[in-house]
Amino acid sequence: MFDIKFGEDGEIFLSGRFDATQVDRAREELSRVDSSCTVNFDNLDYISSAGLGVLLSVQKRLNGSSDSLTLVGLNRHIREIFRIAGFDQVFKID
Amino acid sequence: MQRSFNRNIAALDKVFAFTAEFSDENQLDESVSLAMNLAIEELFTNIVKYTTDTGNDISIHLDVLDGALVVKITDFDVERFDVTRSDKVDVNKSLEERKVGGIGLHLVRNIVDKITYEYKDRTACITLVKHLEDLDV
Repeated sequence: MFDIKFGEDGEIFLSGRFDATQVDRAREELSRVDSSCTVNFDNLDYISSAGLGVLLSVQKRLNGSSDSLTLVGLNRHIREIFRIAGFDQVFKID
Repeated sequence: MQRSFNRNIAALDKVFAFTAEFSDENQLDESVSLAMNLAIEELFTNIVKYTTDTGNDISIHLDVLDGALVVKITDFDVERFDVTRSDKVDVNKSLEERKVGGIGLHLVRNIVDKITYEYKDRTACITLVKHLEDLDV
């Protein structure tokens, strides 16, 4: 089960499986992001190209105002997916 | 192990339940299970999006043969359309140059060892092979 939660300091917490069934909901939730923030992947188990696309959309939108997402807590599988996609070049990953 | 799924994105939940059952039965490594799920999701969603001339269910067959995971995705009574073909993706493009979408097949090609498309008698079959000793993704 996929979930998105917003922390009090604006940090975004993703959990579960970010797959193609979650795109509409994720787009809607993340549409409120309008400045730089951290996205916490600690509890995210899986991401497909659908999830990557949602995050890329947000990053491209923020880039217009010189803001960006910083991704933290990626497990080794998800980190490898980001590397294969070349997304490690367009996101700051801590 | 074989099962058929409705031709819509929402069916992915049932697809993942099926792959989890198969992973448990065959004690697949987590890396192989994740790669299997990712490859199946990308191809299943491409079929749903781009092969729209039928409402037939999509069959997924999973097996372990000769030390490899073999996935067959079969689509019945459709026109020929090879969803495994796509332009090469340049993963070095800048954020500004990047387009949203089009990365799914690139991921699949990089996480499985072999991908083939066959078409005969209006039936399309995609076969994926992943050697079980590959543990990276």
